[in-house]
Amino acid sequence: MSDVIIRAEGVGKKYRISHQLERQSRISLFSNSTKNEDFWALKDISFEVRHGDALGIIGRNGAGKSTLLKILSRITEPTMGRVSIRGRVASLLEVGTGFHPELTGRENIYLNASILGMSRAEIRKKFDEIVAFAEIDQFLDTPVKRYSSGMYVRLAFSVAAHLEPEILIVDEVLAVGDVAFQRKCMDYMKSLARRGTTILLVSHDLFAVKTMCRRALVLAAGGLQFDGSAVEGIDFYEKDSLLEADPWAAGIIGEDIDQWPIVIRSVELLNAEGSPRTVYDYGERMRARISYEARRPVKYPNFYFGIRRSDNVVCCGYSASRDGVTIPSLDQSGVIELLTLPLRLVSDLYSTYAVVWDHEFKQLYCGQIGPNFHVRDEVLNQHFGVFHVPGEWRWGVNSGGKRVAATPSKENK
Amino acid sequence: MQGQSLTSEQDESERFDLLIEAGRGEKNYWRDLWRYRELFYFLAWRDILVRYKQTVIGIAWALVRPFLTMLIFTFIFSRVAKLPAPGSIPYPLLVFAAMLPWQFFSTALAEASNSLIGNANLIAKVYFPRLIVPAGSVITSFVDFLITLGLMAVMMAWYGFLPDWRLLTLPLFVILAFGSSFGAGLWLCALNVRYRDFRYIVPFIVQFGLYISPIGFSSSIVPEGLRLIYACNPMVGVIDGFRWALLRGQSPLEIRGLIASTIVASILCLTGVWYFRRTEKTFADII
Repeated sequence: MSDVIIRAEGVGKKYRISHQLERQSRISLFSNSTKNEDFWALKDISFEVRHGDALGIIGRNGAGKSTLLKILSRITEPTMGRVSIRGRVASLLEVGTGFHPELTGRENIYLNASILGMSRAEIRKKFDEIVAFAEIDQFLDTPVKRYSSGMYVRLAFSVAAHLEPEILIVDEVLAVGDVAFQRKCMDYMKSLARRGTTILLVSHDLFAVKTMCRRALVLAAGGLQFDGSAVEGIDFYEKDSLLEADPWAAGIIGEDIDQWPIVIRSVELLNAEGSPRTVYDYGERMRARISYEARRPVKYPNFYFGIRRSDNVVCCGYSASRDGVTIPSLDQSGVIELLTLPLRLVSDLYSTYAVVWDHEFKQLYCGQIGPNFHVRDEVLNQHFGVFHVPGEWRWGVNSGGKRVAATPSKENK
Repeated sequence: MQGQSLTSEQDESERFDLLIEAGRGEKNYWRDLWRYRELFYFLAWRDILVRYKQTVIGIAWALVRPFLTMLIFTFIFSRVAKLPAPGSIPYPLLVFAAMLPWQFFSTALAEASNSLIGNANLIAKVYFPRLIVPAGSVITSFVDFLITLGLMAVMMAWYGFLPDWRLLTLPLFVILAFGSSFGAGLWLCALNVRYRDFRYIVPFIVQFGLYISPIGFSSSIVPEGLRLIYACNPMVGVIDGFRWALLRGQSPLEIRGLIASTIVASILCLTGVWYFRRTEKTFADII
């Protein structure tokens, strides 16, 4: 018949908020936390997954992605609807679930693998492969509490990677570990997909979704907003997420974005020539086109465009008034464009944000989160720091002092 | 119409191995429990491995605790309070025969009631029949029990007080102890997930139980008329049974009391499983 192996029909999940309150603070015996506010983390989700699909699930925090994965992996029950599944499911909602810090690497491999659903015979068969993949052989008999976080993550992912399930559910686990290992994990997942494993991947890393998945679901506020090709899904998500208020700004100006004096309608990332980009090569220039809408007249607005690395390190920021652009007043819609110097950021995932201050950085008018982008370079990664600029080197034997040029050919492309 | 929807339902369940639906999945439960038996083994193995890590005397703690308690109880109840031991039983043996199941019961209860919370990250991130967790704790405590049983054998040899055929009935009382601690443990761990008050109640129950169960004394000193009510504490039946089986029947075993204890333990066990199964689905949401 059909090769549908997951079918979700009208799945919904309701949480009762008062339980949460009750759990957090039971200081007073007489606390009257009886108001039961219902909260639908998921509403009426229906979709089908076919054998061998690689499906990306994207959405903002709180959109219901994790709840959906928890229902699919049977950790929690849906309140409504049903899901039918065919085949062995392995879900990896966290790296190293059940690792015990006091146990050795060897012991944890057995424990973790059995928690993830492997039989003892299977573990024994895969044991050497797991150790080799994790690159931890000489620490096999050390308690994992002595491991570096990198080793820990490598071991944990390695166990999970050797499950060989028919359906693999993965939540955000690629966000950990160093870049080289992340790539290894991605490659491994791709090889699983090639062998016919169906993959469901939740990630904030749209780049990972784009490279791994052919299809994407976009969730927002518990509802299914989009179901289609990954490329279109990511576009949809990015368009939809442009208007998200930066929590920091919302804390100052207020949560209600409609009350702000000025809002950013969109931030488009382009290359120097003006065509849209999500991936930049190291050393490329970036053009950010910011469309704004002033609801009330704003005096001396100072547009600011910032770049944050995936781990929330603020890497750089461009301020219009700092760069000598003075706008006396704004009272309608318009576009402002920034062309950066060649980007010297190392390869990673970055997010952007656009903020409007007054020219003295005293009053904040708005602050919103823009699209993400990647910087690509074969060599330069976080080991080089936040950014990398070429230097001039001199090299010689003892007093000699022979000048060597700083190979500008590669850096200045 | 009715018939049609029924057949399509049948088609569904034939094509898919698993249906996830509110209130469903019951019929898979016991099969799953069997499928996950290795996890059960691994969790118990982990707890045993971890238990005495970074301690100097390690597993010897399983011997030291009951042994010291036995010395103190012997001193207080035999020397200070001058309570009699039935027959010719040396008082230390009388106490230790009771310490054995009591230690098992109290550790199992304490461990089981905290087991779900202690494994909260597992509960929230992985599916498996949750019953495995408290059951694993009981098994872990059972390993300690076996070690202590060895000490009992040594003590009996020391006093030259060897058991007779009644020893063969001991496994029955072990099962009764298992049932009591598992049943009570299920109740407490499930309640503990929602009401953390039980974190404070459990140590109290254990402490209280140490004095109301016949550990430092023989249950024969309890007034005749109260014995049946007394035996509603399932540990009374277990302890009396242990003494009877280990100490050549010189400590009396009342059949009526044993039946009462067995009934209470069975009720505890059955309702424990029932309550656990009923609340289990919400564990991941509220833990």
